Parts: sequence; structure tokens; C-alpha cells
Amino acid sequence: MELTLDHRIEGEKTVLEVGGEVDVYTAPKLRERLVELVGEGHHDLIVDMTKVEFLDSTGLGVLVGGLKRVRAHDGSLALVCSQERILKIFRITGLTKVFPIYDTLDEALQGQA
Amino acid sequence: MAMVVLRLPPDTQLVGLARLVVITAARDAGLDDERIEDLRLAVSEAITNAMLAHSRNGCHEPISLSVEDLRSGDGTGDAFAVTVQDEGPGFDPEACAAREREWSEENGLGLTLIKGLADHAEFVREGGMRVQLRFDLPAAV
Repeated sequence: MELTLDHRIEGEKTVLEVGGEVDVYTAPKLRERLVELVGEGHHDLIVDMTKVEFLDSTGLGVLVGGLKRVRAHDGSLALVCSQERILKIFRITGLTKVFPIYDTLDEALQGQA
Repeated sequence: MAMVVLRLPPDTQLVGLARLVVITAARDAGLDDERIEDLRLAVSEAITNAMLAHSRNGCHEPISLSVEDLRSGDGTGDAFAVTVQDEGPGFDPEACAAREREWSEENGLGLTLIKGLADHAEFVREGGMRVQLRFDLPAAV
């Protein structure tokens, strides 16, 4: 399945909607988009992973890289994810302690307000 | 006996295809849906590591992927096994695991996932790296 990426502005936040499979082949496209967004001044990001079908460690690495980039600008990066199979990956790697993870986009928008 | 043997050119575009082949075989072997998700990711990580090892070392040889349905005959200890063999320089899984505990590293979380998801993972450095993942199969009724 192809990776889909779509971003929009919600108040002071930028929401990046990710869909499909994020793996070693597709993750560079996600990295590229995050780098572009941060470069354009979008420093408070919400990555909505509701439509992600598959995520591997390469994708996790890209998200960690995104977090480091926004933090360099005193920004933030939160995730929206309610799928157990994806959340399990964050738990195993200990990244639940690193990223704020919300069940819904509304919660993420309020949580970062 | 191996159910499936694939020789994959070191092209990351093929990782998705390899995942599909393995989970189809796992369904046939009777692995349940939740474990299939674990298998899908663990296998993807093992193949990705192998492909990146080849890429980093300019190796164009194929990576070997074999899938086995290991039945003991008496219904105990049955497992679905996937073995990934590469021709890269290999790595020390213990050293890598220690490094992976640092979250700010953008690379190298794959071994943590493999070890956390498979029921048994074996890493053998021998003519490249051989990684075998085992997932317990439910006892036959």
C-alpha cells in the first residue's frame, strides 16, 4: 500500500495526516515532508496516524527525527493513534514516554493548546 | 521442511512483498491474527536489516528468506519459523540492543522490536547474519 501524506493548519498547529504503510521504502517520503514543514516554520506538529496500516522502526526513527527538529525550535510533535497494533510498537520501544499520544485529533488539539 | 524459500534482491521496495508472502504462509499454518501482526513487523525488521547491510556494503547478492512450519508431531512445541540470511558483515545483537536504549537515536530500534515481538529470536553471525524468528503455533485440537 502506498504512503499518503496530507497536511493542513488547525489553529496554531499543523496536522500531518499519514496513511498507508510506513516502512524502509516509504519512510524517506515522510522524513522529507517533516523536514519541509519544519523548514517552512511549522514547529508545532500533530502527526495523525489514524490511517496508518503498518509502521516499522524506520518510521519510528523518522518520527524521532521530526521531534528533534521541532524541539530545536522550541516546538512540539504529538501523535494521534488509537490502533492497538501501532501503539504496541511505541510501548515495546519505550517511545510512549517520548511522544504525547492521543486517541483522537480533537484530544491532540486540546492537549497541545 | 521449508514451506517457502525466497531469494530477494537487496531492493527495499520488495520488503512489502516479502511481508505479504510470509503472512499468507502464517495464516495457512494457523497463526492467529494478533500474532500475524507481530510476525509481519518482526519479519519486516529482519529483512530491512539484511537489505540495509547489503546496501551499506555494496553487496548485490540476494537475501534468503525461508518460512517453515515446524511441527513436533505430538502437538507440543509447534512453531512457525522464518529465517533471514544475508551476506553482510553481521552485527553483535547485544551491543546493538544496548545502543538502542537511547531514544534519541533515529535508527536501530528494529532489534528491540524483533526481540519484543517474536516468541524466540536467534541471531547467528556466520557467513553473514542469520536471523531466525519463531512464533508458537496454537496446539492442534
